[in-house]
Amino acid sequence: MKTYGTEPGAPTPVQVGISELAISDGDDTLKSYGLGSCLAIALYDPKTGIGGLAHAMLPDGDAAENSDRKPGKYADTAIRALLRRMVEQGAHYTDVEAKIAGGSDMFEFESFGEGVGQRNVAAAKAELEKLGVPLEAEDVGGDYGRTVEFTPGTGTLIVKSSNSDNGVTKL
Amino acid sequence: MKLDVNALGTFYRMAREGAGLAAGRLTHMLGVETQLGVTKLNFMRGEEIRHDFDDSTEKVGVRVKLTGAIEGYSIVVFERESALQVVETLLSEAGPDAAVDADVTDVDAFDEMTESAATEVGHIMNSGFIDGWADVLEAVIDVSTPEFVEGQTAEPFFGDIDEAPSDDDLALLFQSRIETVGTEVGFNHYLLPKRESMSRLLERLRTSDGIEYDKLEGFDRMAERGAKEVAETATTLTGIDTSVEIRRLNFVSLEAIPEQVANETLVGAAFEFDGLPSGYLLFLFDEESAHEIVDAMVPMAVDEDEDGFGEMGTSAIKELGNIMASGFLDGWANVLDTTIDHSTPEFIHDIGAAAVDPVIIQLGENQDFAFVFDTIVVADGREFDCQVYAIPDESDLERALNNLEVDRIEETPTTAEFQEVDNT
Repeated sequence: MKTYGTEPGAPTPVQVGISELAISDGDDTLKSYGLGSCLAIALYDPKTGIGGLAHAMLPDGDAAENSDRKPGKYADTAIRALLRRMVEQGAHYTDVEAKIAGGSDMFEFESFGEGVGQRNVAAAKAELEKLGVPLEAEDVGGDYGRTVEFTPGTGTLIVKSSNSDNGVTKL
Repeated sequence: MKLDVNALGTFYRMAREGAGLAAGRLTHMLGVETQLGVTKLNFMRGEEIRHDFDDSTEKVGVRVKLTGAIEGYSIVVFERESALQVVETLLSEAGPDAAVDADVTDVDAFDEMTESAATEVGHIMNSGFIDGWADVLEAVIDVSTPEFVEGQTAEPFFGDIDEAPSDDDLALLFQSRIETVGTEVGFNHYLLPKRESMSRLLERLRTSDGIEYDKLEGFDRMAERGAKEVAETATTLTGIDTSVEIRRLNFVSLEAIPEQVANETLVGAAFEFDGLPSGYLLFLFDEESAHEIVDAMVPMAVDEDEDGFGEMGTSAIKELGNIMASGFLDGWANVLDTTIDHSTPEFIHDIGAAAVDPVIIQLGENQDFAFVFDTIVVADGREFDCQVYAIPDESDLERALNNLEVDRIEETPTTAEFQEVDNT
């Protein structure tokens, strides 16, 4: 959901909807609700406090036509777009670290094959490795949904899961 | 008149673009943050549009007539309270002199000043939408002077418009919602295009053979039969008297579907179905309704833990889902003269959006948009709020519809009745 704001640094957390990505710095929080098989990808530069969150839906943007227009939709293009925008804002490529959450497999439907969540996780990991961005933490898989809140300044990714055993995890 | 997914996709982009511009202008005007709610293309009968409006809340609207690239009416509708709040904000922004008179929320009727302020706001919003559409279409749309409308029912808003669909006509309606952040102000926008103008646009935007518009009648009949079966099944199985509150056919971008689902923990059952068409079907209840249903179906069951549903509860929900799914899909198969099989139920007890996103991801491999058969089944006086989402594979659906004989549709009678729901 897009918010049309007036003042910079308004206290409401910025919502990052499906296929969207957002960049921020400091104590601003970026939030994605109700991730099932979608994957939340958080990148941040601990030195400058610049970071971003993407809410990716599909694994492979390079194979899709519209990934230029919607880089946030695909795990691979979302990571590249986040990284590029962060560097434009002053982040240092070599300092950037990553955390991911989501990618669960809620249903065992025949049409889902090996699992839509797993495919997203694998694609994100492969792209991070290709770009040399270390994956600092992850909370992925399972068969339950998650809501994430990311603070670029501290690199904290809070994951609230609907599974009562897991509750709230701080990555 | 024929339509295809590409043409509808352009319409959808148009609606999103317009809503974005309108939201931006509202922000600018009021100095508050605004956000876009869901934007939908609905295929609705005149009867349903009227039912939608007829919720006994006071509404005010600002209406303009469009000519040029799109002909029809664009209407911004506020709940009366929202309109007054907007006017108050606007007048207090205007300066201390105006602020003296700005305490207007107690006033029973709109006086000249508040009416003209509300009209101004509505007109700026309408213009935002229209500019967005014109941008996407790269064409000129002319706008009449705005007209202030007030009332509880659809009559003052649509009654005198020739283009408004009669009860049985299926109209394409553009619907968007914009809300201000942190307050209760929200409004709905409707674009009611003229049929001939729509036909010209569809012709221009279409890139494939597409579907004959009249076959959409089949869509509607599917939605109606499916919904009716669900309500009847639920009543038989739970003993709770249920009825169809809303059923409509939306055309939305896949990403918009989870946004539409309540941001709370929901309980239900999910299915994949196979045939012509194939796709996914979800039944979602809020937790309270789910507990009520389990109590009704298995009175002896004891919840194993406080917020869980236990084995008995889970299997009760799955069983209900299974029978509702059969009923729903039989309703479809009957209209389409085919058979549709469905999987065993998958139990859901999770954040609503999380239950929907695997489905849109799977469909997202091959399509960007989806027709969503959106149904709400309710019970009078008891907690029973069931949202049904049926999301067919797009190419299957197109084939299924093209196979449909329009004559057959006529033979399948419309019998759905809407129940009045007390919202208080």
